[in-house]
Amino acid sequence: MTLEDALQQALNGLSFGALLFILAAGLSLIFGMMDVVNLAHGAFYMLGAYVALSVTRATGSFWAALVVAPLALAALGLLVEPLLLRRLRGRHLDQVLITIGLSLVIADFIRLRDDWGWGATVRSLPFPAGLDRSVAIAGSDYPTYRLFVIAFGAGLALLLYVLHRRTRIGALVRAGVGDAEMLSALGVDTDRLFTVTFAIGAGLAGLAGVVAAPVFGLQPGMDVDALIYSLIVVVVGGLGSLSGAVAGSAVVGPADTFGKVLVPQFALALIFAIMALVLLFRPTGLLGRVRIGR
Amino acid sequence: MSRSTRIRAAIVLAVWVALATFPEWSVAWESSRFAAGIIRQILIFAIFASSLNLLVGYAGLPSLGHAAFFGGGAYAAAIVAQRLGTDELLVSLGAAVAGAALLALVVGYLAVRAVGIFFLMLTLALAQMVFAIAFQATDLTGGSNGFSGVHRPVLLGIDFNAANDLYLLVCAVALLVALLLWRLATSSYGRALVGVRENERRMRALGYDTRTLKLSAFVLAGALAGVAGALSAYEFRFVSPNDVALGTSVAGFVMVLIGGAGTLVGPIVGAAVVLSIERVLPSQLPAQMVLGIVFIAFVVFARQGLVGAVRRAVRA
Amino acid sequence: MGKRNDAAAERGYRISRRAFLISSSAAALAACAPSTTGNAASSAAATTAAAAATAGPPLKLGQLLPFTKVYAELGNSMKRSTDLYLKLKGNKLANRPVTVIYEDEANDPQVGLAKTQKFIDQDKVDVMLGVVATPIAYAIRNAVDSAKMIYIDTNAGGNALTRTTNNCTPSCKSPYIFRTSFSSYQISEPIGEYMASKKGVKEVFTFVADYGFGTESQADFTTGFTKNGGKITGSLKAPLGSADFVPFVTQLKAQPTKDIYSFFSGADAVKYIQAWNQLGLPAAGYKMNGAGFLTEQDVLAVVKEQANGAITSLFWAVELDNPENKAFKDAYQKEYNLLPDVFAVQAWDGMQALDLALQATKGDTSDKQKLIAALEAVKFNSPRGAFEFDKDTHNPIQDMYMREVKTANGQTVNTISDKIGRVTDPGK
Repeated sequence: MTLEDALQQALNGLSFGALLFILAAGLSLIFGMMDVVNLAHGAFYMLGAYVALSVTRATGSFWAALVVAPLALAALGLLVEPLLLRRLRGRHLDQVLITIGLSLVIADFIRLRDDWGWGATVRSLPFPAGLDRSVAIAGSDYPTYRLFVIAFGAGLALLLYVLHRRTRIGALVRAGVGDAEMLSALGVDTDRLFTVTFAIGAGLAGLAGVVAAPVFGLQPGMDVDALIYSLIVVVVGGLGSLSGAVAGSAVVGPADTFGKVLVPQFALALIFAIMALVLLFRPTGLLGRVRIGR
Repeated sequence: MSRSTRIRAAIVLAVWVALATFPEWSVAWESSRFAAGIIRQILIFAIFASSLNLLVGYAGLPSLGHAAFFGGGAYAAAIVAQRLGTDELLVSLGAAVAGAALLALVVGYLAVRAVGIFFLMLTLALAQMVFAIAFQATDLTGGSNGFSGVHRPVLLGIDFNAANDLYLLVCAVALLVALLLWRLATSSYGRALVGVRENERRMRALGYDTRTLKLSAFVLAGALAGVAGALSAYEFRFVSPNDVALGTSVAGFVMVLIGGAGTLVGPIVGAAVVLSIERVLPSQLPAQMVLGIVFIAFVVFARQGLVGAVRRAVRA
Repeated sequence: MGKRNDAAAERGYRISRRAFLISSSAAALAACAPSTTGNAASSAAATTAAAAATAGPPLKLGQLLPFTKVYAELGNSMKRSTDLYLKLKGNKLANRPVTVIYEDEANDPQVGLAKTQKFIDQDKVDVMLGVVATPIAYAIRNAVDSAKMIYIDTNAGGNALTRTTNNCTPSCKSPYIFRTSFSSYQISEPIGEYMASKKGVKEVFTFVADYGFGTESQADFTTGFTKNGGKITGSLKAPLGSADFVPFVTQLKAQPTKDIYSFFSGADAVKYIQAWNQLGLPAAGYKMNGAGFLTEQDVLAVVKEQANGAITSLFWAVELDNPENKAFKDAYQKEYNLLPDVFAVQAWDGMQALDLALQATKGDTSDKQKLIAALEAVKFNSPRGAFEFDKDTHNPIQDMYMREVKTANGQTVNTISDKIGRVTDPGK
């Protein structure tokens, strides 16, 4: 592999990693900060992509979809959390079962709605106008959309960091994770807080759906793939922190990319091997904070 | 044995006899043959789910990679039988148990260092690596096209080729596994596992080697999953990477939860529910969606799974 | 925190049982609301009742197709084609009213086998058709063979299904199994020979999906290509269902051989073609070649002009100019407002072959050997051209075409650029 090739693959790895971060951010938020196992995360991502498809078709604007889809998924999250998850705080196995059920319902619903232009047919979201060309970088052509994705991922990370550390709601979420009972005793409506947090997580999944759709496409089974990648990123990077999601995607993205081309026989197992190694030697993840209790 | 236990044992035995003779007494029913096939599959997955229940329900080890031992056992049974050119039940079943147990030993040794969510993800990761091997080692496993031409076994001259004969074999093995798990659950070993689930630190303080306990449960559960895998290889005469895939692990996990983790009959009920929806429901109905709604319903309405809900209803 | 959760749980759910049942039923019903993937059995049954008056005994067909998971699109396409064929025939084959039972193979050999047993034991279908995924076809081979169930494979292209093999591994032919699709040899080897001899290509780099079908296609292409003096300079494999194809295409661009031979289908093909364009391979002089599924209509519908110039080999193209294809296309478009794809053709020919065989046996499905002989003897003009079964292997003998992707009037299609000739599978 020449230096030029390596640079190009590094760029590939970076853009893939950025997509993984956007995808995993929502899961990390819900997982790490609410201690809720949300296995419907992939389905939320999938639904976001299909909503974006419809919105783009109706309005001709990718940017409209970028706004509508996350909002739609956040609305769904506002419904789902109190209805299905509120009573299950701390009951991980029940959360697993109910979120698996929810993801099956969502994915099959999408499959059946052929008349909405969804259905089982493989579909694609076109690049937005202005980001649909390729530019010459490192000796080859590179799609500008992928560069946009890198910038978007970085921007999102920054935004989430600011929200988490510098705003009231971020402080509330941090407090709620630390000691929900105390927070409630202080007069904060922790139920509503967690509902909002879940909705944000779902919205982030929807956002990922929009941003990733032009790259990953829309097809049956995309929810499972997305969920698995998200879980790997969150585990590798560290549960319970945004920086964990960044670290995780920064590792998994390039590792997957280089792994595919350098060791194709092991490509299938490579990222799982990485996850296993991290879990064995640094179970809280590369940047994870130590969790007390479960 | 107390009186209530004896009554329960009698009921179980009566049910089992009725089940085992089902092909005979239902022969007039036009769906008899098909139903018998579905029952065989339910029993096979009941064994699989029961073995996982030992981990999830009793030892408190949520494993999302159990299919590695199910499929691993299936492949072992199929490959060894073909390589050695023999259909002897004890050989292929023995290979399945040995192969699955060995695999479980390796995986478990690595996995039991972790707890809770980490254990879950680690078992998932290790199982996916097993899947990758099954998918790519085409010369050994047939690769993505699967391993075909598996023979139904022969035991000391008795041939289990016919569907009804295999049915009896599956029923017999299911009963043996159920008895084994029942003995385990009520033994001090089973209670020790529950103790580890409830409070591992206290068990350690009491002098139990909790890591060995957990590892032994993992290997035992793996071996039993391998038994189910072997039966699956006989039933379908085919093994595919699907049998070690995440979907199968999740299916088993879900069967345990629906039926009721930590009960003996729960996994059987769970297997019956999931397989009925996936394989019997008419194709016009969206099976995956029905399955999803069933899962949601169980968590909302039946916290201890179906068995727990029935128990509560009976008591009420 | 633990105590509080238990207390909350004890209070129970605020959503009542009734509310849940109503809302979930509504969700399920909303999901099942009219769509093109709806219920075939009911519509077939309705016409069956009407026609029952003067016709022969009802004919039961079992169609095992994927309606969920990754190949669901193919199942839908093949169901549309089957439904259309029956509709145009007044829902009768050889004057027998037809009921089709569709079952989902769900991309799982166990499920496929369970449903096959259902066809055999429960539904007692007269003939079975379908199966998209090759592992499932291999899995059911012995079941249909021992049950003496005539099974017409309308997609699964694994070579072994119609060949004599060692120990029937991974599978082997059966007198009861016919195929109206292709063997992967047929769509991969001839293009190899053609590129080396007719087009004078000296070197090719192969890039395929890493699973049975991709590996087989690569091997058969290599045989054909090297046989006529070509040289394979290297190969690359992508895991099936890879999320990102850009790393692979970057590799392709980093190597000097300009002619690339590929096997991909569905979503993989879409991502591959998109990456191919985004990284500027056409401008750099690279040429995409492949087995037909790389650019089939399902893929072209998504990538459109990005696939322009891709050369693939297949036994059919939507632009194939013969009267049957024209009629087929028109009928399909009129009914579904969609262009048909090759899967629809395969399903169509499955029905057509069965139809003609049944006419030859005067509707008799009880004598299996007679029906087998009748199937072996069918010869008809299919949308793909002249169709017949190889009497030895039961694989189609068909014309193989070289196709090129072109976009005109806003539609991207495969146009026929050359005819390779009549191809039959070697059977061994």
